[in-house]
Amino acid sequence: MSPTCQFPAPKPVSSPARQNNPLYIKNCSTTYPDLKCHYVAHTSIDLIEERISATKHADQYLGLLYAMEELAVFGYITNTRVKFIIVTSLVSDVSIKDQDMKNMFRRIHNAYVTLVSCPFHDPDGKQPITSPAFEKAMAEVTTI
Amino acid sequence: MLRQQQPPARQTGDDIWKTRVDKISAELFTLTYGSVVAQLLKDHENYAEVNKHLDKMGYNIGVKLIEDFLAKSGVHRCGDFRETADTIAKVGFKIFLNITPTVANFSADSKEFSLIIDDNPLAEFVELPEDAAGELWYSNILCGVLRGALEMVQMQVEVTFVSDVLRGDDVTELRVKLVKYLEEEVPAGED
Repeated sequence: MSPTCQFPAPKPVSSPARQNNPLYIKNCSTTYPDLKCHYVAHTSIDLIEERISATKHADQYLGLLYAMEELAVFGYITNTRVKFIIVTSLVSDVSIKDQDMKNMFRRIHNAYVTLVSCPFHDPDGKQPITSPAFEKAMAEVTTI
Repeated sequence: MLRQQQPPARQTGDDIWKTRVDKISAELFTLTYGSVVAQLLKDHENYAEVNKHLDKMGYNIGVKLIEDFLAKSGVHRCGDFRETADTIAKVGFKIFLNITPTVANFSADSKEFSLIIDDNPLAEFVELPEDAAGELWYSNILCGVLRGALEMVQMQVEVTFVSDVLRGDDVTELRVKLVKYLEEEVPAGED
């Protein structure tokens, strides 16, 4: 399976003020410009908010959020309201399994936890993530 | 009267770790130490100062920790500095951090040695900010602990970090230097 995978934008919502700014965006594809990633990410946030307010979600994996043009968007939310979004381009003869997506999200989540555990990382939600270890982990996740 | 033979140091350390040591979560320990260092950095802004403070804190810990160590391990007085090095690596570090650093690079006069630490539990998940990477010794508290502990057993030592994987080096290495054995000193004013 090799969809061109544009990559996740975790967005934290700190409990009093819901900020929803992207912490990290990685674009793995050559066909879509970065701006498009931002756009898709922001629309996905709205969808996620809708989804979680509608149903009482016990599960962190939100599954396929929506599909537009040839892009499919998958979402994942942590209990601290940090959202991970993966956007893939749909290749018609390849079906993307939920299990694979869950694995990817789990690895991203683990990398995020490792990042946050660093005493020098400030999780205030305003600054984008610049840690080289996190970037390396993301590169590994996206090259499957 | 026959002198009781001591079991090999590594075995003693292992046994004590398994039976007589209360344990806490590794993450809790790492995060606590991390927040200590982060707070010191916020308070001082100068990496040399932070190193000094960590050393001082370690010293205070070492001075008290040695009593706990001697009570738990019951090791006899070390014959020479080499035995001291062995005991520190195989029993001391094992009991308190559950790691066994390697003793290496003994100097010709047996007064200096290196401890090479394989995976430092204090530095788990840590990434040094760029400007700190040249000056901060993240685990400097260990230097103080060794200094304080050995001073209580009549050895004056200097302990410094030589390299640290957090700084991009290959290994984490501590250098321990024996300055002198301390004699019992008569307090001033008494004859």
